[in-house]
Parts: sequence; C-alpha cells; structure tokens
Amino acid sequence: MNKFSDLPIKLASSVRSLRDFLDLLESHDQCITWPDPIMPEPDIREICVASGQDVPGAPAILFDKIRGYPDKRLVTGVHGSWANLAILLGHPKNTTIKAMFYDIISRWGSDKAQLPRVKPDQAPVHEVRIERDINLYDILPLYRINDFDGGYYIGKANVVSRDPLDPDNFGKQNVGIYRIQPHGPDEFTLMSVPIHDMGRHMQAAEETGKPLRIAVMLGNHPAMAMFAATPIGYDESEYAYASAMMGSPIELTESGNGLDIQAHAEIVIEAEYIHGRREFEGPFGEFPGSYSGVRRAPMFKVTAVSHRKNPIFENIYIGRGWTEHDTLIGLNTSAPIYAVLKKEFPEVVAVNALYQHGLTGIISVKNRFAGFAKSIALRALSTPHGLMYLKNLIMVDADVDPFDLNQVMWALSVRTRASDIMVLNDMAMIMIDPAAVNPGKGHHLIIDATTHMPPDPIGGDVEIVSPPSGPAIDALAARIRALQGGN
Amino acid sequence: MALNCPRCGGDQNRVEHQGKENGTVIWTVHYCTACCFTWRDTEPALSIDPAKRRKVFQIDPSHPERFGVVIPVVPR
Ligand SMILES: [Zn+2]
Repeated sequence: MNKFSDLPIKLASSVRSLRDFLDLLESHDQCITWPDPIMPEPDIREICVASGQDVPGAPAILFDKIRGYPDKRLVTGVHGSWANLAILLGHPKNTTIKAMFYDIISRWGSDKAQLPRVKPDQAPVHEVRIERDINLYDILPLYRINDFDGGYYIGKANVVSRDPLDPDNFGKQNVGIYRIQPHGPDEFTLMSVPIHDMGRHMQAAEETGKPLRIAVMLGNHPAMAMFAATPIGYDESEYAYASAMMGSPIELTESGNGLDIQAHAEIVIEAEYIHGRREFEGPFGEFPGSYSGVRRAPMFKVTAVSHRKNPIFENIYIGRGWTEHDTLIGLNTSAPIYAVLKKEFPEVVAVNALYQHGLTGIISVKNRFAGFAKSIALRALSTPHGLMYLKNLIMVDADVDPFDLNQVMWALSVRTRASDIMVLNDMAMIMIDPAAVNPGKGHHLIIDATTHMPPDPIGGDVEIVSPPSGPAIDALAARIRALQGGN
Repeated sequence: MALNCPRCGGDQNRVEHQGKENGTVIWTVHYCTACCFTWRDTEPALSIDPAKRRKVFQIDPSHPERFGVVIPVVPR
C-alpha cells in the first residue's frame, strides 16, 4: 500500500518492460490502438498534437497501420498525461499532481536498487540481431515530428555510454536522453553539450583518441524513460536510481559492444563515435515550443541493431507545449530542486517546475520575515537546474498550492507589490529559449507573491480568510471525486 | 533523375528507403548530402516544396563555418 491510495502499489511495481506497462495502461483504458491506416506525415504528428490537448487524461497511442511500414509498430504518449504517470507510480489515475509530487519526494534518496543480470543469449532484446546492411529507415517507422524539422528525429531514446577514461566504472556509465537525427541508413548525429555527461564522454574520447561506444535503447522500462531525464550525480547510475525509485527490478544484459542495457528494451542500436566529424543537425522543434537552429553536431556510426520480435518503436511528440515532454519530466525537474532547497531551508513546502522544464517555476515557502522568500528564490537559482532553467520564478506562501494555478494567481493578485519584482540581468540561461537576446545568457525574474511581514508595514485593516483545510478537507475532496465515478 | 533538395536547392541527394504496398512504391525517403535534410516525397508541401517552405528554414550549406558547433572538436 502507499500513503496516497488504498490500491496496492504492487501492480505498478510488477512492470518489467514497456510491453508490461502498455498492458497495464490498457487495463485502465489509458492505451489505445489507432484503428485506421495512416501516412507517416502529417498523420502521426496531427494525432499526437490532438492527444496532447488532454493533459490530465490522454492515452498512449499504438500505431500498427503506418502506410509503407507493414509489420512496424510505433507508440507515442506513453508518459503523455498525468493519468499515465499516476498509474506508473501505482496510484489511481485521477491522483493530484501535488500528491504525485510528494510521492516522488518520499521515494527520493532510496538506495534499494535491484539490477538482476540476464545472459545476453537469453535476453529478449537480442531475439533479432542485425549486423549487416543496417538501414534505420527500414528498421524504424521514422517520420517528421514538426513541419520544419531537419530530419526524422528519435526523441525518446535512452543512450548508454561509459566514460572512455574509466570504462569499467559502472557508476560513471551514463544513461541519458539526447535527440538523435539519422543521417542515412547507418549514421546519426546526437545532440549533447559539454555540460551533459554524454558531452563529457565525447570530449574525453576526442582528447585521448580513445573509442567511444554507445547503445541507444528504444522502447524502455517506463521508469527509465522518466528517470534518465533526471539530473543526478555524475557517478550515480540511472539504472540503480530508476529501480530504487520504482521499488522494482530493472533487468540488465550486455549489448554486443559491451554496455549494460535493459534486457527488455524493444530495440537497441549499437554505435561508435566518429572522432572529429561534425554534420548539420536541426532544426528541431524543442520543448520551449520553438525550433532550435541548424548547428554542426557529432556523428555516430551504427555497428549493429538488436531488437525483440515485432518490436515497438517508442517516440515522443515534442514542440509547442503542452507535450509529452512536459508530463514526462515535470515532476522529476521539480523534485531535485526541492531536495536541494529543503536541506538548507526546511521552510520550503513544494516546488512546481512543470512548465517547459522549469522556465517558469513556483515555490511555496513558510515565510519567516520580510524578504525571506526572495532569498530562497536566489538559492533556487543557484541549484544545478535553476542556474540555467529557472527564468521566471514565483514565490508563494505555504498556504498556496503551487500546483494549483488558480491559487497562484490569487496570490499574485492580492500579495504582490510592484516592488516585490526582481530582475537579475545577464545571468546564465539555456541556449534554446526563444525569448533570448543572447542565447545562453539572459535575465531571471523573481516575483515575490508571499505575504508581507515585519518589518514591512502591512496595509490597512486586512485579514485573510482561512477556509477549512487539512486532511479532513483533502479526504472530503477525494470522496467527492470517488462519488463522481473516478477510481 | 536528380531531385533538388527542398531546403538548400542542391542536387547531391540519395534515396534512403522506399515504402511499399502490394509491391508498389508509395513513398520514397531522400537525403541531401550537402545540407543533411531528409524528406519523404509524400509530405505536405509546407515541408518539402521550396516555394511553400518558410524562407527562414532554407539554408546555404556552402559555408559550414557560419554554423555553430555543439561539441567543439578538440585540437590535438
Ligand atoms: Zn540540402
């Protein structure tokens, strides 16, 4: 049992693979198979955009009638709604975002990883092995995600690489999500930057002339897709992390080129870094809802592909929000910011960084004295994620649920004075912010919407209404939802 | 027949893959070796017709040094 519902969490923790999870979703009416034949463009992106309009409840969509791709299967939207995330975490599908946030926080720091090993010749991922005449366009139903993308992107891969200077170190083996653009039948560019673990591996390989072999896993355990995007320490294992957070095993095996991969991945592309080569990459419709431009990016050569029989290519729709990108990583963006702040400032109650990877964030705090919340905001800007991503930060009191925008707007409306707005000029910012004047450098905005406290004067004879609140009210709200027929 | 790339206008293109139905080709994927654009001949005109594509998305690949590099090559 978990503390937010009476449903056994066991069901979710029995998930071993993408296929298991799709079955679980289907049993909750959260996975559908698209009934009609479709063209790769524009049908796939149009269906994905339409589905993305239902952020609370959209189902995963399985496509098995893509014209020109007989026998190929594609799934999108697996993490595309709060309902699907709730099911992954073992909760009823109408669980509130706030409850899921606290659940993830309560799992944070768990160290009970289970990573059983499967012999490569017994691993489902190696059921079919392709080592010659590799053609990614034949193996995967590739399609253009946004109208002006430069190619057909693979947007939801888990990429495994080892530190080329310390290849035997399991902890330094990185699993990350990087966008991949195929360039021909057996080559692709991979977008990373030097600050990413993968970028460090590429730079180290080039500096030393050592080889860098990678494995690109597609159709992954649903927790891996979620937690590979979570910023954790350089020498921490994403596998261990995802397994511990889910409280369930993630079975590993070895790829043909010596990396630890998920035994139940649908498809694994093995590739080797081509030293010194850069090719045009982009544009790609990215998570801020804008195209990142054309740049020159590192190239990899595909050396082999393994896949399960009748594999499912899992991909993501990403572009102008709200998209699966936001539901996939929103809570995992909020949690580490909260974890860092909470250590130094127990007054921090919750962090909402759901909006476009935290470009806008809302933090609730127990305010202590005038100006206190502003200092918390400044600390948030110096967390690893806040540094580059928290562009607009709204501070609210502990009595405001930062996940409830009506409450946040109330606080903005009644608690903010113009003098509570701080603009921090010329700070570090992400490159792909469409509002950037100088990409990579920009202004951060803090809006303090907390109550005024001494020594600040508080205006007139104002008293704030305190409606009844607490566990009894939460229980009544849950009962009302249940009476509505939700489960 | 050499096709011209919808993005850069070049003719250095190759066929990557063809989709078939009942033995008949229903689409062809092309790749431009000059600007790395990939396209399917059945896509909406907005994506693959140079006259309909937004000009801001056209590129001239003849001066690669004008484009940024995401992981700078390490001098050895
Ligand atoms: Zn071209």
